[in-house]
Amino acid sequence: MGELLDMAVRACEAAVAAGADQAQASVSRSQGFSTSLELGAIKGSQAATSGGASIRAIYKGGTGTSSANVLNLDRILEASRTAAKLAQQADPDPDFVSLPAPQALPEIDGLYDDAIAGMSAGDAIRCLLVAADEALDSAPDALVSGGVGSSVSDGALANSLGVATEKRSTSMQCVIRVVLRGDDGVGMWFDYTYGHVMDDFRPDGIGRTAAEGAREYLGARDVASGDYPVVMGPFSAPGVYGAVASQAKAEDIQRNRSYLIGKRGEKIASDVLTIVDEPLIARGAGSSASDSEGVPRKPLTIVENGVLKAHLHNSYTANKAGEENTGHASGAGIGTTNVNVKLGTRTAAEMIAEIDDGILITSGGPNPDRVTGDFSSTVDFGFKIENGEIAYPIRNAAIGGSFLEFLQDIEEISSDYRDDPGEKMPSMSVKKVRLAGSA
Amino acid sequence: MRDALRWVVDEATRAGAAFADARAVEQWGTSLRRQDGKTDALSQSDSLGVGIRVLVEGAWGFSCTSEVDRAGLKRCLETALDMAKASQARIAEPGVMAELEAFSDEYACPHDQDPRSVSIEQKMAVATALETSALGRAGDKATNTQASYRDTVKREIVANSNGADIDSTLIRALVHVGITVADGDIRQKAYEHKCGLGGFEIVEAIDPAALGTEAADTALMLLTAERAPSGKFPVIVHPSIVGVFIHEALGHNAEADLVLGGDSILAGKLDEPVASELVTVVDDATIPGSWGSYKYDSEGTPGERRTLIEDGVLKGYMHSLETAARMGVTPNGSGRADGYNARPIVRMSNTIVLPGTSTLEELAKGIDQGVLLEGGEWGYVMTAKGQYTCHAGRARLIRNGQICEQLRDVSVAGMILDTLRDVDGVTEEFEMLTMGGMCGKNGQSMHTNGGGPYMRVKELVVGGQERI
Repeated sequence: MGELLDMAVRACEAAVAAGADQAQASVSRSQGFSTSLELGAIKGSQAATSGGASIRAIYKGGTGTSSANVLNLDRILEASRTAAKLAQQADPDPDFVSLPAPQALPEIDGLYDDAIAGMSAGDAIRCLLVAADEALDSAPDALVSGGVGSSVSDGALANSLGVATEKRSTSMQCVIRVVLRGDDGVGMWFDYTYGHVMDDFRPDGIGRTAAEGAREYLGARDVASGDYPVVMGPFSAPGVYGAVASQAKAEDIQRNRSYLIGKRGEKIASDVLTIVDEPLIARGAGSSASDSEGVPRKPLTIVENGVLKAHLHNSYTANKAGEENTGHASGAGIGTTNVNVKLGTRTAAEMIAEIDDGILITSGGPNPDRVTGDFSSTVDFGFKIENGEIAYPIRNAAIGGSFLEFLQDIEEISSDYRDDPGEKMPSMSVKKVRLAGSA
Repeated sequence: MRDALRWVVDEATRAGAAFADARAVEQWGTSLRRQDGKTDALSQSDSLGVGIRVLVEGAWGFSCTSEVDRAGLKRCLETALDMAKASQARIAEPGVMAELEAFSDEYACPHDQDPRSVSIEQKMAVATALETSALGRAGDKATNTQASYRDTVKREIVANSNGADIDSTLIRALVHVGITVADGDIRQKAYEHKCGLGGFEIVEAIDPAALGTEAADTALMLLTAERAPSGKFPVIVHPSIVGVFIHEALGHNAEADLVLGGDSILAGKLDEPVASELVTVVDDATIPGSWGSYKYDSEGTPGERRTLIEDGVLKGYMHSLETAARMGVTPNGSGRADGYNARPIVRMSNTIVLPGTSTLEELAKGIDQGVLLEGGEWGYVMTAKGQYTCHAGRARLIRNGQICEQLRDVSVAGMILDTLRDVDGVTEEFEMLTMGGMCGKNGQSMHTNGGGPYMRVKELVVGGQERI
């Protein structure tokens, strides 16, 4: 047993000794650095080493939590006693049944890489400057900003029923943002790379992509209000199926504050939409062997051919519903991991080619209210489509509607996609979206 | 701790730092949540750590630690110096810092009851009263209630190589009540908040029955509200959304670090008209009891009332020590850091549009068909592009100069300078936000507040669902 897990186990014991019925403790340590870029040069660099513990104590279903921001056993045990005391002051909750019991966890490859753990700040900064220079080579008049960073984290989780898990991960990311100012307005875009392992950290090309993207948004025009066919690009479409996945969490449904109440087993979207949460993908950004309560992760089909198939559970909601725990505890609530959709058969370009008068949304899109299911949001970046081609960038437009009606209007998911670790990000076409424009 | 921080700064200077600061931040807080009749989650946290910033040969380095003994601080300083060295790989413009008169002070914001001396039962009673009143009003239409209480005590000690020696404690408290109601297939929700800078007396001054009832009344009213229209309309903006708008659209663009980084549409526009003559905007850190107020920023500079726009003309930006030095102006106390593990960056405090002379009725009178936005909820901005979004929790239709039917929640989008130019009416009636705003920037979260009068905009894109 490692030092962190030993602390977690002792923290649980202390909470129970202080009167808690059950307890859970997570203990973590991380170190990392980051460098920020401004106007193509380094703005500054910072390093952080942190460690601490979070203790959750249960008494008659009521929860008390407390934390310590140092890896000092005395401080952690003190936090355990505080959590136990708070739990005893909370109101009893008869819907709470139990924290999870220990289970065997799956193995996931590619969440840790010595090459990232050993990366120096100097080497990381060289990657950032190469990416910045790419942007400046593509657009010498560009205002280039961004950053690079890496971290290595160790964590342990224990509960008073015997759950005892340890994990280690690394990550590294680099982002480049480009602003171009011209007589015909401002163009801006970005690109990034992210990986748990060095093979997925690919900064080559992101500066050029960001600069070329920014140039495409110069000369944005107002567009007229109306109902348009829409294609949503790979930075926009994931917001749609990500919203469905995250709003299928059982907590909101059990608490009677969701537009998805009573919809399980019903068709909530068009046939083309199948959404799967896939936590076990090797090297996935959202991958992990267990959720934040130590429950084994496993894939979950949330929507299949348009039918809502599942709710996302943690131990509280699963026990309350009398259903299988899907392993989606995240912090104190419920969350998704790597959300993917079933791909279609045609490319985004083929979808665009069929539209005479429409909109391509490249960033922004429906953000449904979790209670009402209505959405009203801005098209942050987009283009007008005319006669099957991308005609010009648009500005100052917003969309609104019922999210459930929007989901029924999805026509296609593209076959091509942006490939991020753990998530394939395709485009999506929608029959009709109400757009408010300023022309 | 003040001696330890001074030692760090002296060591950094000896190691070659042209500027150094060390900040210790000690935080203590309670939060509790009540939902569906039970206060089922209580939480208490405390933390202590130190952040060290050094400027060496024109390059910045920063490091932080929760190991605050002398050995831990020494390691942290060495790491900060290493980071500065790494930053020297490419410097466009060497870092500089304004040399302000050094202040030495011990300060705690005015308060009667330190929340650390208030029992958890008293705090739970507040949430219970909020929920009870909301439920009492909504009756069997209520499907979910959430009420919460939160307090924080933040002590920040700042020492820097200019000689600053500040020990400042800020106390804040916030209550929230939210309710979801349903009638058949229609489900709606509403929230109310109250917050302030000060002790538990802030919470005791609140009438929980009124606050809970207000949330329930709004939610019930939304059950029969129509969907908002889609298109471009004359719009009147309620003070709560003026507060969100002016923070997002104007405030962020007036942060001098964004101006210097090429990320602001206000760069190069000082003393130029950027808004209607009816618009005067200040960012004021000195408003007593306001959520975004403070006496000293995280660099030890006194917070001020800064005029950003006066009668439509851009008069100034918000500054840290560094941005002030780079622009050759006096720092105005806007360098704020989220915690010990974050470096100070330029932030807003309480950003407000000053009142005018009109009445709401006068603003509505000139509109044949338009929208009144109410219940400011959230917003965001793309500063370089000059485009913003604000979301209203509810709205009203304006027809023939009359404020008419209730509408559901809706977002509006606009180009900042167009909207500021198109303001053609400002009321005498004025309100501050009560939502307990936390502004996000560069991964840091900061207490900010805002407010203003009703404001009329000639045309704005309303992202509703209905054609009218």
